[in-house]
Amino acid sequence: MAHTIDRSRPLVELRDIRKAFGGVQAVDGVSVNLYPGEVVALLGHNGAGKSTLMKMLAGAYPIDSGDTLIAGEKVQIRTPSEAQAQGIETIYQTLALADNLDSVSNLFLGREKLTRWNTLDDHFMEGQARKVFQRLNKNFTNIRVPVRRLSGGQRQVVAISRALYFNARILIMDEPCAALGPEETAMVGGLVKQLKSDGVGIFLITHDMPDVFGLSDRLAVMKNGKLVGTYRTADVTEDEVLGMIIAGKRPAGKAQAEHA
Amino acid sequence: MSSPPLWRRVGIDLRLLLMCLLLAVMAIAFHVLSGGIFLSPENLYNVAQQTAVVGIVATVMVLVIVARHIDLSVGSVMGFVGVLIAYLQYTSGWSWPAASLAGLAVALLVSIYQGWLTAVLGVPSFVVTLGGLMSFRGAAFLVADGKTQPVNDEFFQRLGGGYDGGIGVTATWVITAVVAVALFARMLQKRRARQQHEMPTEALWVDLLLTALPVLALAAFAWTMNNYKIADKPEAQGIPIPVLIWAVVAIVLSFIVHRTRFGRYVFAMGGNPDAAALVGIPVKRVTLLLFGLLAVLVTIAAIVSIARLNAGTNSLGTGMELYVIAAAVIGGTALAGGSGSIFGSVLGALIMQSLDSGMLLLDVPIGKRMVIIGQVLIVAVVFDVLYRRRFGDN
Repeated sequence: MAHTIDRSRPLVELRDIRKAFGGVQAVDGVSVNLYPGEVVALLGHNGAGKSTLMKMLAGAYPIDSGDTLIAGEKVQIRTPSEAQAQGIETIYQTLALADNLDSVSNLFLGREKLTRWNTLDDHFMEGQARKVFQRLNKNFTNIRVPVRRLSGGQRQVVAISRALYFNARILIMDEPCAALGPEETAMVGGLVKQLKSDGVGIFLITHDMPDVFGLSDRLAVMKNGKLVGTYRTADVTEDEVLGMIIAGKRPAGKAQAEHA
Repeated sequence: MSSPPLWRRVGIDLRLLLMCLLLAVMAIAFHVLSGGIFLSPENLYNVAQQTAVVGIVATVMVLVIVARHIDLSVGSVMGFVGVLIAYLQYTSGWSWPAASLAGLAVALLVSIYQGWLTAVLGVPSFVVTLGGLMSFRGAAFLVADGKTQPVNDEFFQRLGGGYDGGIGVTATWVITAVVAVALFARMLQKRRARQQHEMPTEALWVDLLLTALPVLALAAFAWTMNNYKIADKPEAQGIPIPVLIWAVVAIVLSFIVHRTRFGRYVFAMGGNPDAAALVGIPVKRVTLLLFGLLAVLVTIAAIVSIARLNAGTNSLGTGMELYVIAAAVIGGTALAGGSGSIFGSVLGALIMQSLDSGMLLLDVPIGKRMVIIGQVLIVAVVFDVLYRRRFGDN
């Protein structure tokens, strides 16, 4: 289906987004775009505002001011459910798993399949879950134990499965590889490439330079709630990126890139 | 991957098994010490119906604690609602259904108020309901100016058990048979569903045995209740109505926990409140609903309670919050939230009440009983902490 994707129109446009917590301006007039089949890395120190920006897109925080456009249409995203309805899925750094529930319950959490008597359709959900988990990890079979007993990689599989099963068209990944071993990191990398070719747009929050240069098409750097700049990843060097993150200094003579 | 041991595969909770054993050991010890009174049908009938009020509220307290809340006001609200229902019948001359519905409406208002403070304003439920503990005890006094309100309706009185409060021999056996058939049918249906979905099943004899055990326990209970005959009555008592109400409540709540969205959300909120909000669970609405459910069950408990005492008094339910919370905790509900079971609360309530009644039979004075019961609650929490450390958090 890759050839039918219209890559000329942005999937997400965030315009002049602002958010304050008490007196602290966490996000201060940030604008950033995301195109179908594109990975945009969001970079910055802890507290730079990148997670807050993404949480607003995911419906976890309300936006103070600014516009959100999805596929060219202005939308109001006030709750996680409204974000999900727009095809926005989020893989949080904390994974957002209920540790006391099993993998199947976590995959469908908040979006359970019900029988016609409005009770939980456990057999259906287990069957579907088994298929999604198999796609990501062949050895993942203990899907009925509480997720607190699972390994870091298996827990990540559960979190990622939500995005896969519910057909994300916009995916937010917050440090997806922070707690993973090399094999699982490679799995996440492979998955990102596959989703890209399916036309999914991905915001990738990360601190890891190999991830940035290996996976992203463009990168946007934030510092103290403000956007430093957005560049094509191929146009900048690692040192220039670090300069933006640490000093907020734009690389000399490099053009910013608003498009994929 | 090595297969887990049989008891774990079939979902036996080691801890609930321990509680069953503890209950059995306690009962036998009290039986011997009391010279053969404790396990007599008469005493078991009384213990069962006395436990029902605490047991009914404990089932829903499990969910409240699982969701990382607490309600310290249940005893006071029950007293308030109970006196109100009795007052409306005795002083205002309402019929018992009308009075009970009015009581339910007031209980719901109370729960909306306390639930709103907790869910919407974010005031800790501990504080909200600690205030409620005092306020609603005062409200219970205000309803009838502290005067005891007798309850005279004969049908209503039967809801509390007592002299005419058993369902009789035939009904007891019919209910036992129906439940037994239902349990076996459910077991077979589960096996078939698992086979259809190509999931492994246990050997048939394992499932048969696991179903037969609770059926046998139920039959033994039914037989005992059918052997309690009050001297001047022709027929034996059978299962007391309050126990029947408690059983229905426990089954309905188990169903809510395992088969509905609401039940799953309550557990998810207790396991990880942040995750629950991030995946789009309407946390505030679920919390309000939970307080609403609590109001319904507190009203049922209030009705059973005043029916049993044949009166509503302003001291009704005093100190009950401790028994209810203790029943939930003894039954394996973690005070940190996220885990607990309805069946556990049933066992916990029985253990608390057996201990209390057993000591009463042995003429242990009230002071010593209070000291012991208070410490038993602490032992239960210590056990909970040690158990989770030893066997992992399940």
